Order: sequence, then structure tokens, then C-alpha cells
Amino acid sequence: MSIPTLQGLQTALSGLIAEQTALDTTGNNIANANTEGYSRETALLEPDPPLDIAAISTLTGEGAQLGTGVAVSNITRIRNVYLDAQYRAQSSALGGASAQAEELEQAQAAFNEPSSSSIAGQLSSFWTAWNSLAEHPASAAAKEGVVAAGEALVRTFHELGAQLSTIATQAGDQYTALTGVGGEVEDYAQQIAALNGQIKLSEEAGQQPNEMLDRRDLLLDKLSALANVTVTEEADHTDTVSFGDAAEPLIEGTTVNWPQGMTEAAGGRLGALLGLTGPKGALTSLQSGLDTVAETLIGSVNEHLTTPFFSGENAANIAVAVEAEGVQASGSPGKGGNEVALAIAALRGGAAEQGYAELVERLGSYVQNAKDEQSNLQTTVTAINDQRQSVSGVSLDEEMTNLISFQRGYQASARTMTAMDEMLETLIEHTGTAGL
Amino acid sequence: MSDRITPAMVTSSTLTDINSSLEALERTTDEMSSGRTILEPSDNPYGASQVIDLQSQLAGLSDYESDAQSGIAWENTASAAMSSMNEVVQRVRELLLEAANGTNSQNDREIIAEQVEQLTESVKQDANAQYAGEYVFAGTASTEPPYEQGANDEYKGNTETVSRAVGPSATIDISTDIASLLGSGEDGKLLDTLRTIAKDLRGGTVEDVQALSSTDLEALDANIATLTKLQAAAGSATDQLQSALSRNEDLQTSIAAALSSTDDTNMAAASIAYANEQAAYDAALRAGATIVQESLLNFLQ
Repeated sequence: MSIPTLQGLQTALSGLIAEQTALDTTGNNIANANTEGYSRETALLEPDPPLDIAAISTLTGEGAQLGTGVAVSNITRIRNVYLDAQYRAQSSALGGASAQAEELEQAQAAFNEPSSSSIAGQLSSFWTAWNSLAEHPASAAAKEGVVAAGEALVRTFHELGAQLSTIATQAGDQYTALTGVGGEVEDYAQQIAALNGQIKLSEEAGQQPNEMLDRRDLLLDKLSALANVTVTEEADHTDTVSFGDAAEPLIEGTTVNWPQGMTEAAGGRLGALLGLTGPKGALTSLQSGLDTVAETLIGSVNEHLTTPFFSGENAANIAVAVEAEGVQASGSPGKGGNEVALAIAALRGGAAEQGYAELVERLGSYVQNAKDEQSNLQTTVTAINDQRQSVSGVSLDEEMTNLISFQRGYQASARTMTAMDEMLETLIEHTGTAGL
Repeated sequence: MSDRITPAMVTSSTLTDINSSLEALERTTDEMSSGRTILEPSDNPYGASQVIDLQSQLAGLSDYESDAQSGIAWENTASAAMSSMNEVVQRVRELLLEAANGTNSQNDREIIAEQVEQLTESVKQDANAQYAGEYVFAGTASTEPPYEQGANDEYKGNTETVSRAVGPSATIDISTDIASLLGSGEDGKLLDTLRTIAKDLRGGTVEDVQALSSTDLEALDANIATLTKLQAAAGSATDQLQSALSRNEDLQTSIAAALSSTDDTNMAAASIAYANEQAAYDAALRAGATIVQESLLNFLQ
């Protein structure tokens, strides 16, 4: 069997088409160099099926195969799914740590320590006011001073208590906004479910839907910051996504199961928000700690008095219960007695203040841990993302090199075609006049 | 594959580095401008609780300092009043000895009696000494004068004590039980003795004149001994307050030092850190500006 005369043209043409496709792919990579979630693509080239050259046609009598050119077998995205799984696990942890750090830093700002207008500063002024009363037990001004210092302290307790409540409420609101109707969870889930359907159809048609796969991966990345995400790719190329500690998978095929109840074990931002305000959460602990300080203060001051100075039993309802003339400096009827004022001034550094200092230490540790964790996880996430970028990211240097290489390939294929053309010209134009 | 470096990676890591340099720089600037290393509890949780504790201790010490100072001023008032009483009583004793001398006529004794009565009033005036609007010899009934001028010698104060705190659970009693000296009417105490002396001077009988040099003088001497004891007690309270004050100063110094070592910025170290961080930030910016610009595109024709 001889070689078809026009085979060389076909081979050159396949080269032109393949190089052009590769060039287009490179162009697409360059265009998407800064697109979030884009994975670089590459045109997979495969040689076309060879032409058998029969044994009798060769000198040695052995058969041979002649290549017939090249074809693009697929345009595939370059991506490592294991890095995706790692990224998402760390991203959930980072989402949680960030939420913790944000909320607790707000609490820390509310405490406003160390400063003279904080509870510690106000407590100190309060004891000083009692001490001044002990120096001048009969002085109306000293009694006014005690009441004024008490009022300022009470106000600071109220403000701080209210701020902590607001922070806790806002954490709850944030959870509701993220998980509610039209919230981010539902929004991402709907988009992923829709993509699942489209991807399935494309794959059934034998196409690899790279852009849709990228978009689905990007949405899964975003979802993973909200809670733990486990992605299982099914045989039909849809992703089944379990979310947090929700009982049902969030996404199965094109179905979205939401809303579902979750707990603080959900991980991610949502788990952290639930955890902060949960019974063992940091915000809850700070609130109850503040209440304990207020209760201790009320108890330890009132214990020395027959007419209670403070009323209430927590940070929200602590109040000064007496007018200035009702402030007792002494238990005896004499106006110059000061043993009660001395005893109360001696409460400085006592249980209330130590309790408060411990509370501030606890607050500081919470914030410090949350920030450390956030910064560590940020480093990890950045490192994993760098690895992903290293695999999937577009390198312009590389694309430029490919551009040159494919361009040259295209030029060479065109040159081959010219050579073939010239060869045929020789055959047709210069081999006698038969047939003319 | 992990050897591939993409421009996005370079950009993001350059940005991270520049940010962290800037963050360090900002932190050092904060510490230098505020002069403190603990700006928030999370900077040093244990340190923050220490700062609260130390600041409160320091404020407490300044309270105790003011207590001790007011206690000393109070005792100075009391001591001055008692010194004046002592002078008065010594004068009465001189007059008494003079009157007991048999050469005086009844008329002379009447004149001396008048002087003794005036001196009695002056003792009561001293007993009504005030510090900052409070009667120092009235116990806790310090808003009213303990003695009325005139014939009524009843003590209006009480024997309850007034103290000043000089440290945690350390108080010093600054009250003087003046009633144990002056008494309250007819009880043989100083005022009663002075009244008796005046009465005996005016009495004119032989027994009266004899009493002047015997029972009256003995009673007066006994009262002078009581006065001296009270003066000594006041002096000792002042001494205690003084030594508490000087201890307080030492403590203030050492607690201020502890506070400073917990919270204050070490300016020398911070300045060096600042210079280093400034240089690092500068270098990060320069490197970023150079590397982010470069790519193969710069060299392709």
C-alpha cells in the first residue's frame, strides 16, 4: 500500500489545528491570570492513528507505520484535589479562629483595660472615695464623693455588661444572617447544586467543563470558611457536600438540604459563633465573670453596712441604693466615727478586685490565643494556597514560553504545508504534458 | 510541580511580608508613643492583671499616705492643745503653792481664785480644739464641742475611738480620751479639781486653806500625771504615723518600679527595634517594587 498523495497536507493541517488550539488555551490562561479560582488549562495533544505501510512496500520487506499528525484529545485543568481537601480543612479552622478573634477583640475593646476609665480604674477611685470619707467622716462632701464614685463604677458595670450582651447578640445575628433564607450558606449551596447539574450534563456529553469545575471548587472553598466541609465526588461527577455537623448532606446532586440545625461542633465561622455564645463559650464566660465581680463587690461592701450601699446582684442591675446623707461611715451614732469607712476602704485589693484582675487575665488569654491561632492558621492556609497556586496558578513566564513554542509550531506546520504544496506542484506542473 | 512560582504567589507573599513588616513597625511605634508595652490585655494577659493589681496597690498607698498625713495633723492639733493645757495647769500649781503660803490675805486668795477660774475656762477652750472642722477630743461625736464654756463641766463627747488606716488591715488610733483627764462634773478629775481649788480659795476657812496645800495639790499632781501620759500617748501615735509614712514611701517606690518593669516601654530597646523594623519595611517595599515588575515580557522582542 502506498502513501496517499495528499496525506502530507492533512498531517500539516492537523498540526496547524492542534497548535492553534494550544495557542488559544495559552491565550485563555493569560487572560485568566488574575481570575480568582481559575486553574490553568493545557491542551492535551495526542498523535493521530498511524497509517500502516504494508510489508511489500519497504525495502526490507517489513511493514512500517507512518504518523498522520496530531489531534487535541482534551483540554484539561491542572489541579490537585488533595490540596483542595487540605485547603478546605484549614480554611474552616481559620474561619473559626477569625470569628473568635473578631468577637473577642470587640469584647477586649469594651473592657478598655488598662485605663483609668475602666472598671479597675473606677474601683480604685471608689476605694479612695471611702478612704477620704474615713478621713472626714462627718463631711457631706466626702459622702457625696463616695456616692459619685459609686455611681461612676455602677455606670461602667452597666456599660460593659451591655456591650458584652450586644457583642453576643451580634454574634447570634451574624449566625442567623449567614444561615438564614438568602444567606451565604443557602446561596453557595444553590449555586453548587446548579453547577452539579450542568457539570453532569457536560460530562455525559464527553466534555470536560473546566470553567464550571473551577467555579464549583471556588464556591466550595468559600463554603469551607463557614463550617467544616467534606466533598465526595460521585461517579456522575456531581459533588456530595456534607456541611458542619448537619445531619443531612447540604448538597446531594442538584438537591439542597437547608436549613438544618447545627452545633458548635460545626467548625468554621458558624461553629465559632455558636461556640462563643454557648454555655461554655468565651463570651458567656466573660459575661458571667463580670456578673460575679459585681456580685462580690455588692456583697463585700454591703456586709459592713446596716443600710446597703449597693442594690442588685449582677453587672446589669447593680445600683447605688443610698443618697449621700445615707452613706454610713460608722456604725455608732457619733458623726465622727469612721470604722465602717475604714473597713470598706480596706476592701481595696480584695476579692472583687482580684476577681476582676483574673477576669481581665482570662480575657487577655482568650484574645491572645484566638489571635495566635488565627495567625498560625493564616500562615498554613497561605502555604497550602501557595502549593495550589504552584500547581494550578498561571505563570506568565511559562505562558509566554508556551506562546512562543506553539507559535513556532504553528509556523513550522504552515511551512510543512508549503513544502507539500511545492512537492505537489512539481508533480502536477513539471512532470510532462500528459493529459493537457 | 511545587517548583513552579507564579506571579500571583510572588504578589501575595510580597504583600504579606510588607504587611507584617508594617505591623511590627506600627506596634513598636505604639509602644514608643504610649510608653507602655501592655496596650491591651491580650498583649500580656498575666501582665495586664498585674498592672491592675499594682496600680490599685499604688493608689491604695497614696490613700494611706494621705491618711497618715491627716492623722499626723490631727495628732499635732491634739498635742498642741494638751501642751497648752499643761502650761495652764502648771500655772495653776504655781498659784496654788503661792496661795497656800500663810502670808496671803483672804483678799489675795480671792484674786487667785479668779485667775484659777479664768485658767479653767482656758483648759476647756483647749479641750475644744478643732482639726478640719472636727473636735479632736470629742471621740466620734466630733461635730459638737465636747465642753461648754461656763459652769457646766459635762463631757459631751464619747469614748469611741477614731483611727486612721496606714496599711492593709493596719490602723492607728488617733483619739485621745480627754474625759479621763478633764472628767465630766464632780468626779475628782482635772476640771473638778480646778473648781475645788477655786472654791477652797474663796472659802476662807482654816480647813479650806489647809486643803489647798494638801488634798488639792495632790489631786492636781495626779491630774498632771494623767495629762503627761495622754501627751506621751499622742506623741507615740504621731511617731507610729511618721514611721508608717516613711515605710509607705519606700513601698510606693518599689511598687512603682514593679509597675514600670511590667508595663513601661524600654525606650532604648524599642528604638533599636524601630530602626530595624524600618529598615526591614524599606527593604520589603524595595524588593516588592522590583520583583513584581519583572517578567519574561520585559525581555521578549
